[in-house]
Amino acid sequence: MRRSDLIGLGVFLLLIVLFPLLGSTALVNTGVYALIYAIPAIGLTLLMGLAGQVSLGHAAFFAIGAYTQAILVTRYGLPMPVAAVAAIALAALAALLIGLPLLRLRGHFLALATLGLGIIVTIVANEWEFTGSTSGIFGIPKPAFGGRTYDSPAEYFWLLAPVVVIALVLAQGVVRSRVGRALGAVNDSEVAAEALGVDTYRLRLQVFVVSAGFAGLGGVFYAHWLGVVSPGAANFPLSVEFLLISVLGGLGTVWGALVGAFAVEFLDEAMRQFIPLVIPGAAGEVQLIGFGLVLVLVVALLPGGIHQAFTKLLRRTPAPGGEGGTAGALAPRRHPARGSALLEVRGLTKRFGGVVAVDDVSLDVRAGEIVALIGPNGAGKTTCFNMISGVLEPTAGTVEVAGTRTDGRRPNVFARAGATRTFQNLQVFRSASVLGNVKVGRHLRSGAGLVGGALGLPARKEERAVTEAALGALSAVGLAEHADRPAADLPFGSQRLMEVARALALEPDLLLLDEPMAGLSGAERQGLADLLRGLRAEGMAIVLVEHDVAAVLALADRVAVLDDGRLIAFGPPQEVRENPAVIAAYLGEEESDVRG
Amino acid sequence: MTDLIQFVVAGLAQGGAYALIAIGFVSIFTVSGVINLAQGEFAALAGLTGVSAIGAGLPLPIALAVAIVVVVAVSVATERLAIRPVKKMTTLTSIILTLGVSTVIKAAMLLIWGPQGHTMPAFTAGDLNLGGVSIRGQELWILATCALVGGAVWWFYERTLLGKALRACAEQPVAARLVGISPKNATMLAFVVAGVTGAVAGVVTSPVYSSAWDYGLTLGLKGFVAATLGGLLSIRGAIAGGLLLGVLENLVAGYVATGLRDAVAFVVLIVLLLARPGGLAKHAEARV
Amino acid sequence: MFEVSGLRAGYDRLEVLHGVGLRVGRGELVALLGSNGAGKTTLLRTVSGLIRPGAGTVTLDGADLTGLPAEKVAAAGLAHVPENRLVFPSLSVADNLRLGAWTRRRHASDDVGRMLELFPRLAQRLDQPAGTMSGGEQQMLAIARGLMARPKVLVLDEPSLGLAPKVIADIFAALAALREELTILLVEQNAHAAFKVANRVYVMDRGEIVTEGEPSALKDDPRTRAAYFGGIA
Repeated sequence: MRRSDLIGLGVFLLLIVLFPLLGSTALVNTGVYALIYAIPAIGLTLLMGLAGQVSLGHAAFFAIGAYTQAILVTRYGLPMPVAAVAAIALAALAALLIGLPLLRLRGHFLALATLGLGIIVTIVANEWEFTGSTSGIFGIPKPAFGGRTYDSPAEYFWLLAPVVVIALVLAQGVVRSRVGRALGAVNDSEVAAEALGVDTYRLRLQVFVVSAGFAGLGGVFYAHWLGVVSPGAANFPLSVEFLLISVLGGLGTVWGALVGAFAVEFLDEAMRQFIPLVIPGAAGEVQLIGFGLVLVLVVALLPGGIHQAFTKLLRRTPAPGGEGGTAGALAPRRHPARGSALLEVRGLTKRFGGVVAVDDVSLDVRAGEIVALIGPNGAGKTTCFNMISGVLEPTAGTVEVAGTRTDGRRPNVFARAGATRTFQNLQVFRSASVLGNVKVGRHLRSGAGLVGGALGLPARKEERAVTEAALGALSAVGLAEHADRPAADLPFGSQRLMEVARALALEPDLLLLDEPMAGLSGAERQGLADLLRGLRAEGMAIVLVEHDVAAVLALADRVAVLDDGRLIAFGPPQEVRENPAVIAAYLGEEESDVRG
Repeated sequence: MTDLIQFVVAGLAQGGAYALIAIGFVSIFTVSGVINLAQGEFAALAGLTGVSAIGAGLPLPIALAVAIVVVVAVSVATERLAIRPVKKMTTLTSIILTLGVSTVIKAAMLLIWGPQGHTMPAFTAGDLNLGGVSIRGQELWILATCALVGGAVWWFYERTLLGKALRACAEQPVAARLVGISPKNATMLAFVVAGVTGAVAGVVTSPVYSSAWDYGLTLGLKGFVAATLGGLLSIRGAIAGGLLLGVLENLVAGYVATGLRDAVAFVVLIVLLLARPGGLAKHAEARV
Repeated sequence: MFEVSGLRAGYDRLEVLHGVGLRVGRGELVALLGSNGAGKTTLLRTVSGLIRPGAGTVTLDGADLTGLPAEKVAAAGLAHVPENRLVFPSLSVADNLRLGAWTRRRHASDDVGRMLELFPRLAQRLDQPAGTMSGGEQQMLAIARGLMARPKVLVLDEPSLGLAPKVIADIFAALAALREELTILLVEQNAHAAFKVANRVYVMDRGEIVTEGEPSALKDDPRTRAAYFGGIA
């Protein structure tokens, strides 16, 4: 746990103890609602902050939790904690069923579907006798543990506060975990994270399910506090309120949800009191204006929410050297036997509309060799790379990595087969440090899941190993001393080298580099060339696209030349250099040259 | 059989309103990538403005014009004050942002018109009776108006240079700028189109469904569903999606249970998203 | 006359252009050559307003275009035919052409006929959606769309990219025909084709202009070859 967390926790604990003693009953009552609503908002913050998705129907999961709890407690007499487990599980299950097909899609689809779910749940709750139709389910008892009944606002506040703290700590664990790191990377560059083996879909689904579980937990405490659950619990306005809490608090941290919850609930209460004084006869819902305005203003002016504004005020910089670990050079690794086929490409073809970008390209790459892919601009080199690495689906043809078909699958499948790539246009994870970037490269070489990450402890040892390996990869490209700098602050050439280190952290058998030399200084080029030769000696297979033809010819064992989407030459550098078709491709077609 | 025809006609009328809302979603989304959740509020605002204008003694066409002007002004203000200032607009941001705008509009309507519903008098008195099938006059008005406005929007996008410029912006934003089309103006124009269609939908449906401050939510959501049914990228798809949804809802309400009417849209939505996320139309990859 | 001086620009933290200057006189066809990654496309994107320059100026007939957004640059008389053509795929060829004349749409556009004379292959495809055409036809359309604006200067980014030799020949024949009445800045990979049509040539390498002159003088200049072919020949 970091210092900022400890401070937050301390302040919060103090507030918990003091608030019910000092506040009026009405005030404490509002505080109880803030705590209840903070729980689904924490889930929503995880969903938006990590998965980059929004749920417009989080109240649906909240209501599923509340109804389940109400029914199990009042009709079946289950004890509160047992019922709560079922309530949370049911909310999570609903999310699983929705997310399973929908999280494969991008953009607004999940927002739409959750919106629909919210309305369906409201309607079902209204129409179904089992859920008590419009009147809902009542008679839910106040919780009682150890002979003590938590029935006053102050008592309930004290019961609830530790739950919220635990929820926050768990959520924080998720953010800091391997899964959180991978999803943070996905938000910066999905394609790069995928190329490092991050299964975006799976992780997003997990976060969505967890997020709904939080909403379900909120519903449990809502049911017990109100004593009655009615269809209004699934209402769209409540979903909006959760959203407002998350956004206002800030998506950068789960603590934002707590800050946001108190801000929104007290704002709500204040407007309820204040507006009728200003506008006589105004209906109760007028605080909606305030909510709407706050939402617009926050998104437009304060995209990081209250929490980030506060952190900016304090201007803390990340403590240097905070992450331990010793830097050693990259440990040599056993690759498949030299000369064995690692990459086999057959008949690869891509058409865009009427344009053929890549036309029937076949080539193979063996362990322990460097193959360069060259050709004039627009020859289809990057398109080839994209198809080989699973970024693009080929129109025809197959790709096999070490015997596994990978064409048309996601890049993370390519990575799982032991291969990765870098990108021509840098795909830096801008919100992470240099070390944080390279750690994502260890994603497949570590295994802590969401639950382990949330609990924090089991993952600690593994985390140390990840840090160590990442530092090793960084020192291999000469960036070890920059490990704690924000990645976005590095100069361009170093960012490129950092991406190479990130790819190396995966310990691939096959490495695809798209213009690794572009933007590097002379010394950096030399260093990179030496590094690549060293990796080749260890038995790694390397394919690179490069514009600097001279550099390529000096480095590569074999050169493949693409022109107008077709492979026009493939052989040792000397042979390719003298191939008339290659020279013509570079100079431009001119009859006299070709024939002469 | 009589029932069936009545349900279908009522469904088409209602679907026409959904279609107009859906057109608003599509026109804004294609040009700017913004999902405007305030679309339904545009309709509610138009209905209430229309009611007040008629109450002030204005003739119907003038009242409609007033409603359109007011809503377009609000729509343009939304674009200028809420959308344009945001530097990095993502779909996620736009959803949260326009949700805020819709809340503001809703609350303003509540302040001005109060919580109760207001109903505009039917455009013409009397119902149509054809061989035992009774059709409300206003439903015919809705159908006719929606056909007219939907057709006009379609004509705008398919036949006028300005409409084609908007499509160019949606398909190839960089090339559109290079030929001199301003993306800001295009977005603004898209909001005008959305304002007009939303306003018309709100006014013509007011005599049947009545207008109230909270009327926009479900209407907007269903318009959104209709637009998604059509793939969110095509005007024709939006119109088809709206009509389909309206008919389906009325059949379910008529034959199954009235209370389930509002669930239809969202069940259809979820089923559709599961089965064909690209919408019913074919070109799922029209905007890459 | 079109003039660029001291232009610095790039993406994010990477400066690609380190002070580029060039001029294109009225009625001239100037070719800009250089290897991949030399910064040619960045230069064009900067002069046409798609990228804001960090320093330097862009002027056209004395009017300062520096830092204007692309749509204003287009209105000022610079037509940029972008890399990869970027035609409007669902719109017909005729509509693509009409939108090319967007900046002067208030004056009736009767130039479509002229474009069809220049690129006869487009005539048969006038009502076809542009996205369904072949790459060569799309390139012709993109050039024609640029010409529809009756620009003071036409800026072309690799019109021969990924096209068959016969199509390239057609396109360069059209450019040669246009040379009489237009000011053209041409970025080209295909050195031979460019040397044939250009009045003057600039050679760019790593974000700077390294040499400039008549094609006949530069054709066999080792610096040209070195910058251009990266030492292959």
